[in-house]
Amino acid sequence: MAYSFPEEVLEHVFSFINSDKDRNAVSLVCKSWYEIERWCRRRIFVGNCYAVSPRIMIRRFPEVRSVELKGKPHFADFNLVPEDWGGYVYPWIAAMSRAYPWLEEIRLKRMVVTDEALELISKSFRNFKVLVLSTCEGFSTDGLAAIASNCKHLRELDLRESEVDDISGHWLSHFPDTCTSLVSLNIACLVSELSCSVLERLVARSPNLRTLRLNRAVPLEKLPNILRRAPQLVELGTGAYSTELRSDIFSNLAEAFSGCKELKGLSGFWDVVPAYLPAIYSVCAGLTSLNLSYATIQCPDLIKLVSQCHNLQRLWVLDYIEDSGLDALAASCKDLQELRVFPSDPFGAGPNVSLTEQGLVSVSEGCPKLQSVLFFCRQMTNAALVTIARNRPNLIRFRLCIIDAQAPDYLTLQPLDTGFGAIVQNCKELRRLSLSGLLTDRVFEYIGSHGKKLEMLSIAFAGDSDLGLHHVLSGCESLRKLEIRDSPFGDKALLANAAKLETMRSLWMSSCSVSFGACKLLGRKLPGLNVEVIDERGPPDLRPESSPVEKLYIYRTVAGPRFDMPGFVWRMNEDQAWRLS
Amino acid sequence: MSEGPMAIVKPEMKSYIWLQTADGSIQQVEEEVAMFCPMICREVLQTGMGSSKNYAISLPQRVNPAILGLILDYCRFHQVPGRSNKERKTFDEKFIRLDTKKLCELTSAADSLQLRPLVDLTSRALARMIEGKTPEEIRETFHLPDDLTEEEKLEPLRNMTDDPRIRLLNRLYARKRKELKDREKMKNIEIEEEHVDERSVDDLLSYINGGDGDSKGGRANKNKKKNRRKKDQPRNSSSNYENGNHKNGEVDDVSSPSKFSKFQASASAIFSPKLDFDDGDIDDELDPAMKEELDREVEDFARRLNSVWPERMHDILSLGQERRLAPISMNGNGSLQRCTGDELADWQFTTPLTHPRRAK
Repeated sequence: MAYSFPEEVLEHVFSFINSDKDRNAVSLVCKSWYEIERWCRRRIFVGNCYAVSPRIMIRRFPEVRSVELKGKPHFADFNLVPEDWGGYVYPWIAAMSRAYPWLEEIRLKRMVVTDEALELISKSFRNFKVLVLSTCEGFSTDGLAAIASNCKHLRELDLRESEVDDISGHWLSHFPDTCTSLVSLNIACLVSELSCSVLERLVARSPNLRTLRLNRAVPLEKLPNILRRAPQLVELGTGAYSTELRSDIFSNLAEAFSGCKELKGLSGFWDVVPAYLPAIYSVCAGLTSLNLSYATIQCPDLIKLVSQCHNLQRLWVLDYIEDSGLDALAASCKDLQELRVFPSDPFGAGPNVSLTEQGLVSVSEGCPKLQSVLFFCRQMTNAALVTIARNRPNLIRFRLCIIDAQAPDYLTLQPLDTGFGAIVQNCKELRRLSLSGLLTDRVFEYIGSHGKKLEMLSIAFAGDSDLGLHHVLSGCESLRKLEIRDSPFGDKALLANAAKLETMRSLWMSSCSVSFGACKLLGRKLPGLNVEVIDERGPPDLRPESSPVEKLYIYRTVAGPRFDMPGFVWRMNEDQAWRLS
Repeated sequence: MSEGPMAIVKPEMKSYIWLQTADGSIQQVEEEVAMFCPMICREVLQTGMGSSKNYAISLPQRVNPAILGLILDYCRFHQVPGRSNKERKTFDEKFIRLDTKKLCELTSAADSLQLRPLVDLTSRALARMIEGKTPEEIRETFHLPDDLTEEEKLEPLRNMTDDPRIRLLNRLYARKRKELKDREKMKNIEIEEEHVDERSVDDLLSYINGGDGDSKGGRANKNKKKNRRKKDQPRNSSSNYENGNHKNGEVDDVSSPSKFSKFQASASAIFSPKLDFDDGDIDDELDPAMKEELDREVEDFARRLNSVWPERMHDILSLGQERRLAPISMNGNGSLQRCTGDELADWQFTTPLTHPRRAK
């Protein structure tokens, strides 16, 4: 006897269930729950825009209010995905403009967004509230003008890291005087100068503004006026943090900052003049997030700053922080959860700063809540990695980027297999791992045996043979995204573990040894995948079957072949000789 | 009250409301407690019922005497005006510690009495019981039938429509198409190659299981590995750095306006004719005679199917029509929160990607 409810009651219960995982579980319980759930699902996340079509999504979920899509593979960030590869959002916008008139939120990552798409968004959704374009490209400030003009209830416009054809800053004036709904505005990636008076007026009439990230072109002297109009700000991104040294500017700035009692996050800080740093000291104690990844602040000033941020949970910083800065961080910031250290001079021949593996070890010792690490450095040892693993078994994300490819343990000259092995063995909740340094197949054996919760793995210049890849594909049960470059993995491991690919979101392999013949075979045998060869040398069948392909992107899909492949992408699923009249 | 030598001390005059549950039993409840339920309140005010045993208010079917007792306990506590939020919260937390069956009955009953706060309380409790469970576990908890087909369970999205009739028709189409494809393949000489490939996969498997006898040398590649792209540097320098074996004499100047307009033009050219990815496209490859035969078979099948179609589907379909008209309200929190979790097609759990460039 089923414990039954009327549908409305069940729908009400479902309204308290929000994670996609739980909603998917709910939809698979039985027919009636499937039906009820699909009508009340309001938010959809599509991790690969080619895995499903807009039509399928709309057909299954008719009442969606919020859509999140991701396009290009992650390695696009490293310029490994050629231009015009794909990831176009327009078809999605077009379909949703007809089907979801009440759509409120669109979040896109690594997609190609055109001005046309932005205009369509601005005109199709009367209740549109949130637009987040993360690492997107293809649009100009004209498209932004359309959004500003037409979206009467706009709350969030967030352009994080997107590449915008920045024609002028004039688009900002397109926000009508009646627009008072802004909660979050992130235009840090724009280059053009903005009219400060337009900005100030916009800020002044947005009482709910919580996040404001300005671009570099906003001068430091103008910042106090903006801050005074938005003392309720929680997140602030400054513009360029430099101007001539004048005490009146300084006191103005310091006073304005001290008026922002709710400030929890800071970013921006281009071109820092250190003398102006003390202006933010009054807010340091309240900061939980500090993004100094553009800030050329030297170690002593960084130490002074960081030592005051006792509540810091997230720090993104350049390697100017050095080991001594990381020691200070470890001593002062006991709530630290996430640390990212970026290289100030990645292309330089040798180290320009005194940042070593010791700094990371320090933080791992001093910060008990540390769970997410991204660390660029020039040297590492197995001993340090083992220590880090022992100190921080609660790590969830560990991305180590030793700048020189295949650099060994600099003390023992051994591969770093043992070190990374310790990481996967001790950190049982590890979900994301990026490898670097000199690595043999052995590290993959460790990863396959211990990385049971690993969902994303990034490999570059690592391994000796197919056995390495085989360990990963056969051992990592939770693996969803695997990206590999310049590693000696070929056909064998891939073909032997072909079925695994259907349980993953995607696989990227570039400059490896996978042959054209193997790609064809995979494509034929696995209809649930799109096997796409990216090769800018020309059609792969002009070369021998055994010839390795340049790049390979395999992803599972229910949408069939994509129709927007550029000339340098070939799909391997069709049997070439088969034709029906 | 009367006074005098034979005075009877009467109890305080209290008003009672008479309620009748579906099983016929009648009870009287203190007025202020019963009136806490909107449905009862409305009945009393609009119809005057409930004032005596003969005119007891009939409660909805979902309210049995045991559950009514619970509901009245809830009302009795909460209708007292002076209580603090903390007190109420503590009471609620204890109150919902019930077995699943009771909790379900209570939710249902509270809903029929329109007692919103109790509906919310019990719904949240049920939601917590559902969260984190697999479909099988949820079925067990709530004694629900396992009536999705294997195919539906494996890939819910393969159900391309909300109408199972069309699903069946699609399957018929797919089967026919496969037959036609297979017929073509018989004529195909490449079948030889396929066999060869099969064998070599077996070989490969035993090779892998046997161990590593063929280790290739590690690629000695001087190129530096992946790095984030810096905004303030022209792209060509990082691409030199990354792809030694690659083209890259071209200057990739990202900020040039002409590049972007060309880009937009090509993107829209790709998309304008192809916005509607119809399933029908797939059938274009069939020869027309085949297609006609297929259409006839499908029509016939559909006719047969229509005659035995259960009523329920009609209900669901017509309910669907109604829903289309009004915008449905947001979830309980009143906001759409950013969600991390599974993708559309039941792909496994994911966290939002963060890439090594400086971001956010």
